[in-house]
Amino acid sequence: MIEISKVSWRYPHADKPALRNLDLRIAPGQFVVLCGASGSGKSSALRLMNGLVPQFHDDGQLTGTVTVEGMVTTDVELDALGLVTGTVLQHPRRQFFTDNAREETAFAMENFGFPREQIQAGVDANIADLAERVPVEQRLQHLSGGQQQQVAIAAATAHDPRILLLDEPSSNLSADAVRRLAATLSDLKARGVTIVVAEHRLRFLRDLIDRVVVMRDGAIEIEWTAEQFRAVPDDALAREGLRGEIRSPELAILATAGASALNPSPAAEVLDAALELVGIRCRLGGRTVLDLERAAFAAGEVTAIRGVNGAGKSTLARIITGLQRSAGTVRLDGRVLSRRARQRASAIVMQDVQRQLFTDSVQAEIDLARTDEPAAPDTAVVLETLDLAQLAERHPLALSGGQQQRLVVATVRVSGRRIVIFDEPSSGVDRRHLQSIADQIRQIAADGAVVLLISHDDDLLALAADRQLTLAPIARGQSASRGTAVGLTRPFEETA
Amino acid sequence: MPEIAAAAVARRGLDPRSKILLVLLVSLAVMSPGGLLFVPAGVVLAIALALSERAWSRIVVIPVAAVVMYLLGWVLPLLWTNPVVTVVAIGCGYLIRFVAAFGVGAHLIATTSPTQLSAALHAWRLPRAISVTLAVMLRFFPVVAAESAAVLDAMRLRGLAGATGLARHPILSMERFTVPMIAASLRASEDLSASAILRGLGSRHVPVSLDPPRFGWPDLMLVLALATVAAASLLLPNPLTTVIA
Repeated sequence: MIEISKVSWRYPHADKPALRNLDLRIAPGQFVVLCGASGSGKSSALRLMNGLVPQFHDDGQLTGTVTVEGMVTTDVELDALGLVTGTVLQHPRRQFFTDNAREETAFAMENFGFPREQIQAGVDANIADLAERVPVEQRLQHLSGGQQQQVAIAAATAHDPRILLLDEPSSNLSADAVRRLAATLSDLKARGVTIVVAEHRLRFLRDLIDRVVVMRDGAIEIEWTAEQFRAVPDDALAREGLRGEIRSPELAILATAGASALNPSPAAEVLDAALELVGIRCRLGGRTVLDLERAAFAAGEVTAIRGVNGAGKSTLARIITGLQRSAGTVRLDGRVLSRRARQRASAIVMQDVQRQLFTDSVQAEIDLARTDEPAAPDTAVVLETLDLAQLAERHPLALSGGQQQRLVVATVRVSGRRIVIFDEPSSGVDRRHLQSIADQIRQIAADGAVVLLISHDDDLLALAADRQLTLAPIARGQSASRGTAVGLTRPFEETA
Repeated sequence: MPEIAAAAVARRGLDPRSKILLVLLVSLAVMSPGGLLFVPAGVVLAIALALSERAWSRIVVIPVAAVVMYLLGWVLPLLWTNPVVTVVAIGCGYLIRFVAAFGVGAHLIATTSPTQLSAALHAWRLPRAISVTLAVMLRFFPVVAAESAAVLDAMRLRGLAGATGLARHPILSMERFTVPMIAASLRASEDLSASAILRGLGSRHVPVSLDPPRFGWPDLMLVLALATVAAASLLLPNPLTTVIA
């Protein structure tokens, strides 16, 4: 039982409250979805239920009371709430404390001091269940986003809490992985677990939902029962900034030769284009991770790079941008580019954009990136179109996630780079922002750049991509690699 | 699946308590006055440990670093005497001790999961505050390493990572690296600590380990190896403490 009564909450240093006068009562065994646009307060409402709000944020202001399984959340320690709730945060890979499924599922039970026999039995049961869908002996960081999610749910529910809280569990998941997620949640619901999900995507939960709570500006705007929700048309969802059915993008396949391509073509069928890769082979940690005989990407087009984790998407991005050594050549407009030259010609918009903001103001960030390249668009125009002009004096780290991402896009545009790679740019964004990200990607392509879009988000790919190249992991001994260069082994770049 | 096999081998290796004791012992031996006597033994141990877990990069880096330090610290001053060389030589005389200490420490970090570490510390009845802090630190190393690598990549693409830039504006370059690195690491650690606390890390309950640490034959081998290299250090001639004529 969860009871939230008259709760308002303001994060430390925030200029407006994240939650306003919230009233919500969730009965045992219910499946409730909190939804709303980014910034509507749905994640904050979820964090009320495990005590992270207010206990994890010093100096925030909370009024009202939250009661979970009879405990007032401000009166007890976080781990007492953790014992009765399981939480899966938005990025499963960031919350793993160990590096394999067995230790991860044992973690909570060990800490809560369960008897050893019970831990063993719980871990065995969970691993047996997971093993049907997840290679459980693999290291967690090497699993796909969907598999990591399955492990995170198992790790959050192994100590048998009566409540499960999930923050945007479907972001970064492919349509397949989303179906598996729904099946797992359905099993948990059948076991009587109360489930609360904060989400933008709703349709995949259609058959599980008991209630939908739509939030806006920190307050509840609409509540739908299961029957009402099923009758809501897709354009009504769109008005609330919610994503409806997942669109399956139908993209033309980019003709590509090599063992890494899921659907390889003969090398002769690969047409010439602005960016050409010839004989690219890369071995990391004793394994061939990428083998592309021939691939070509056109300027002014957006090519989606798809494929499971470990298929070589990040490695491909690192090779093209000159960050990773490999055998083979990369040509831009017919000229062979060295690794250094590629670094100067390309840009990446990373998944965590904080990693690439280096200065103390938006204006300084833009000035640092600006070049005298005649092709580069005008700075003022770029700032204006990306809605950043009024933020010129702000510190980049004080911007919201969406603003930071737009700032990085602005730096990419004013630097006039010819090769631009987006790495999972849409993780956890709502429908409105998704459109704006797609527009930015399109705009960079329209500036004349070769754009590669690494993403699992079918909605984004449907909006922003022209073609697709799907990579597949190379089985041992499959690649005809010879004379390969070996670079320094890097930990796998983080992609979901 | 080489990495899985390697991980499984490592997990069946030394007891985490042995590894902690070994790191303390080696550090103490090589850092103490007269510690140069034990540096070759420490380097040999570090290489042997790297071999045992098949950490190829360390198998190469440790001996190369040791040899470079030796050449700069002992051989070069004999061939070429000038103040700069002397300063470098004195520096290398100290740094070579770190090669041994870091080499052994790297094995501990690479092969011990946070769960194993807390189990080991719990077995020693260390206070929770210490065991939880150390376990979190151990978990945090790879986060910082991954974030640093990503920030460096981003700097390279923006042309901010060049040696000329570093030489001309050292403070600015450091700032451009550290600020995003710390911001990104903090963000990554927030989810990690929220999830760990909710799952009872550091709670009042007495933790129970699913796999309590046990000493086994690898630990016995380690004791024998330690005795051997200690004896060798004392009996055999040492290039670091004998003056080259």
